[in-house]
Amino acid sequence: MSSHKPTPQFELAGVNAMLVRMGNQMRSEMPTYLKQIRDLLLRDYGELITQVTPAYNTLLVEYDPRACRMYDLQQLLEKVLAEMPYEENASCRKLVEIPVCYAASYAPDLEQVARHCKLTTDEVIEIHRATDYQVYALGFAPGFAYLGELDKRLQVPRLDTPRQQVPAGAVAIAEQQTAVYPSQSPGGWNLIGFSPMQWFNWQEEPMTPVEVGDCVRFVKVSEAEMKSLEKQGMPRT
Amino acid sequence: MSREAITGFRVVKPGFFSLLQDAGRSGYEHLGVTSGGAMDEMAASWANRLLDNPAGSTLIEITAGGLELEARTQTMLSVTGGDLNLTINDEPQAPWRSFWVSTGDRLRFARPRIGFRAYLAVQGGFQVPASLGSAATVKRDALGGLHQDGSALREDDFIAAGFLPEEQLPRQLPERFMPDYTGPVTLNIIPGYQQNEFSKEAWRQVLKQPFELDTRSDRMGARLLGDAIASPDLAMFSEGISYASVQVPPDGQPIVMLNDRQTLGGYPKLGNILPLDCYALAQRQPGTEVRFAHIGLMTAQQQMRRYLRFFGL
Repeated sequence: MSSHKPTPQFELAGVNAMLVRMGNQMRSEMPTYLKQIRDLLLRDYGELITQVTPAYNTLLVEYDPRACRMYDLQQLLEKVLAEMPYEENASCRKLVEIPVCYAASYAPDLEQVARHCKLTTDEVIEIHRATDYQVYALGFAPGFAYLGELDKRLQVPRLDTPRQQVPAGAVAIAEQQTAVYPSQSPGGWNLIGFSPMQWFNWQEEPMTPVEVGDCVRFVKVSEAEMKSLEKQGMPRT
Repeated sequence: MSREAITGFRVVKPGFFSLLQDAGRSGYEHLGVTSGGAMDEMAASWANRLLDNPAGSTLIEITAGGLELEARTQTMLSVTGGDLNLTINDEPQAPWRSFWVSTGDRLRFARPRIGFRAYLAVQGGFQVPASLGSAATVKRDALGGLHQDGSALREDDFIAAGFLPEEQLPRQLPERFMPDYTGPVTLNIIPGYQQNEFSKEAWRQVLKQPFELDTRSDRMGARLLGDAIASPDLAMFSEGISYASVQVPPDGQPIVMLNDRQTLGGYPKLGNILPLDCYALAQRQPGTEVRFAHIGLMTAQQQMRRYLRFFGL
């Protein structure tokens, strides 16, 4: 077992929830680890545990206060975590390729990002698509995947004034992360491209193309290719 | 099946914000799907209880009034929660009771007299297809409701409901069970383990000073206005947000995270409110005075266990 295995801290999160905190850093092996814990908890303790939400280095564990008390739950979680193997450099559960069009008309902030990073727009695109990203969390809105870790050369702050409306499909970056907006919503990230891919459909199985622990690779497509993909209906994987 | 063959209710006027709700969605938070559900779960539970419906049956949450329905069936209804001046065929009706309606009857909810949200249940529950296991309407997730797209009730919507061959005895909730929605509200808070990130001074302030329910409050969160609470400057990644947690963003104005809260957030949290107090808060109009008081986890859980067992939730 690795010496880097994080020591869990248990935080009270209400009458029916605990937050398990594992360190305070973004670590690439963490998403897979959290996903494994989630699967195990729901599989083996579904009577007690109602929901498990992983994000970065935490798990929100919701339970039925009639079925167990917080102290018993904490003991159970301590035991599960002690037995769970922790793999350094864990690989992605699966890799999903996402088509992205970086054409200027779909990338309103691309030039400003390039200026800020002292790169050409082509270099920004090249760096953005050359990295494989991990899904650290899904949330904010259905299917919104927080993807990390963005190359240091591309790290830019959020916009000073968030946009009232970011279109669904906008590919965005901010600080250490990148994401695709699954639905039209307000947003403060820098928009550098557009993907015709659908990120959430509750009537399909699976509902989202990726879950925490999966990896994403952006594949550059031309505007014409993007439009034809869009016309075919949004591809899933 | 033709529409005429189905019994139910036609929406004559949708009102300000009338939503089909139930106990909410569970099990999809890890994909970013929020729970939704009746904001005043206690009143909703009573509405179903008065009709012997299973707990969590689909009902209508009417916020601030304005809903007008026409019965296209005969059945028992119940109404609980805020008193929104309900009339049936222009005759005033008191809430917290069940009653009989027949085809052609008009139900009108006007502006609130007491409270903020009324719950209208029908015998057997409104028959609405479930989206991810629930009919709960969540606009921001485009999920649930009559059209399964998160939209509120609209003019001319038709909500299917059963037909009863004969009238049943009406029931009324004994007065001692009726919540009092008037006056200031106290939110009992269970301090979370991030409590130590806040200074002693900040905590003293939270428990001492009054706040005011802000007009920007919605189904996502109740925003409170008061002298700013010093929020610790934590470099946090987003983490799962539980129901009734109290976030304090850098502006120092607390937000109680409610049914339609975003699933992840990254602000420091004081702790969590006893859910029963959030139900009471959901009946308050903006401007209401809000105070915090401390409650221990054991006491809070005892109260919630009693509530959940009573309603079979």
